[in-house]
Amino acid sequence: MLTTFERLRAILVRDYQLAEQSITMPANLESLGIDSLGVAELLFSIEDEYRITLPPEPVDLCTVGEVVDYIDSLIAGRKPTAGAPVKSSANTSTVTPPHGASLLPVPRMQ
Amino acid sequence: MTRLRVAVTGMGVVSPLGDSAQAAFIAAAAGRSGVVLLDLPSAQRLIAPVAAAAPFDATAHFEPRQIRMLDRVSQFALVAAKQAVTDSGCLACDLPPAHAPERCGVFLGTGMGGTHTIDEGYQSLYGDGSDRVKPFTVLMGMYNAPAAWIGLTHGFLGPNFTYTTACSSSAVAIGEAWLRVASGGLDMAVAGGAEAPLSFGSLKAWEALRTLATVDAAQPSASCKPFSKNRSGMVLGEGAAMLVLEAWDAAVARGAFIHGEVLGCGLSNDAGHITRPSVPGQAAAMRNALQSAHLDPADIDAINAHGTGTAANDATETEAIKCVFGSRAHLMPISATKALHGHMLGATGALECVLSLMAMKHRVALPTMHLDSADPECDLDYVPQMVRRDLTIRTMLSNSFAFGGTNAVLVLRIGNGRVQ
Repeated sequence: MLTTFERLRAILVRDYQLAEQSITMPANLESLGIDSLGVAELLFSIEDEYRITLPPEPVDLCTVGEVVDYIDSLIAGRKPTAGAPVKSSANTSTVTPPHGASLLPVPRMQ
Repeated sequence: MTRLRVAVTGMGVVSPLGDSAQAAFIAAAAGRSGVVLLDLPSAQRLIAPVAAAAPFDATAHFEPRQIRMLDRVSQFALVAAKQAVTDSGCLACDLPPAHAPERCGVFLGTGMGGTHTIDEGYQSLYGDGSDRVKPFTVLMGMYNAPAAWIGLTHGFLGPNFTYTTACSSSAVAIGEAWLRVASGGLDMAVAGGAEAPLSFGSLKAWEALRTLATVDAAQPSASCKPFSKNRSGMVLGEGAAMLVLEAWDAAVARGAFIHGEVLGCGLSNDAGHITRPSVPGQAAAMRNALQSAHLDPADIDAINAHGTGTAANDATETEAIKCVFGSRAHLMPISATKALHGHMLGATGALECVLSLMAMKHRVALPTMHLDSADPECDLDYVPQMVRRDLTIRTMLSNSFAFGGTNAVLVLRIGNGRVQ
């Protein structure tokens, strides 16, 4: 049976024409050419592939490994631990995500 | 206010008649129709399953990632715009850009935007019972996507506008671009239109309006019969046509090939009925066009008619041309090319503009095909069935009228190639 990572890697190869060896757990999504819109599309494919429904809360996913952990946590039915949940901008204690971080599933509107 | 001359230095076409200005012109001159019986799984659910489909292979132009982001209408627009920009030489890779990007704008007409995307979304929600639509549905369906992608692709930083006035959208877009360049507000504009209305939902909506032609059983490709007594309606078409407009002096200075000149544009609004065409409204647009170009009716040598093949339009347009031109109306060749490329809605005015410029260059009047039955209400010279050659046509009107009542008429002059 394929692991979560292997299934995710197959999606990335299929949809983004990435070289399989470039897809590693620490690989940064932006550096793989997957920007915030790309992650929105990726999450749609993940819902199909793993037959899960993503929660509506925005989540900050920067690396392949964080996506894998996020999927695993949802499959296990536990609260996701991977990726820092994006807090409301009204909350002054919010940690600003690093530059280029993906604030998704819902892309930020202008 | 001093007004600058405006040259057409680039043309690009994706159409049922071929994927270049040259190919579309050759097909139009030969009277070769792009109207076909539709080969869709749902075609048997259409009363009249004919349309002018563009033989377009997206994979020849875009990566899979891009295709997932672009509705068919944006694909058409991008390919036509790229052809036009390449043709103009403005962004030749071995030369610095001809104009500062801040001085380049995009003016695009579309009547229906991303119909395929919207159709697919409805199919997901209502047909398949899904609770999700694709993540890029908004970005693909929005009306300004085609223009936005042209700006993004070529790095144009000037105004980026989308006009949606139904069937006159792209004539309006070209007219507005002409104004911007003529006034000195821009040095260059990519202007035209794109439409991809052959989704099942869109075809059904047009069918419901009872304005589409019935299928000519003997020859389906001849189903659209402008100005013919036996005309039964319009046939939808899809595609895009884009032009590069440039300030004349700048175009001449860089040795650009000049396909033609936009001399003016006339607009009017019927304010009468949401669909019924109006003789005064159409005539006003033609008069305004002449006035904008500082021309008299006697200066016009030929007309590209709106000529949709509906009973109402063709009789109304005939009457409006008579109102403006008087006895001269009978002396001018009048071409209705929609018989061949169908009604491409928001793209049609731009394609007809391209075909008119090509016709002047090649000294022909394009034929109005399938006009085989004279109508006493349509008694002008529509160049029936056969191209007419060896004509001196220097100045043309290109008519575009629309549901909603926005009429737009372009005044075009023959190009003189490379001016030294």
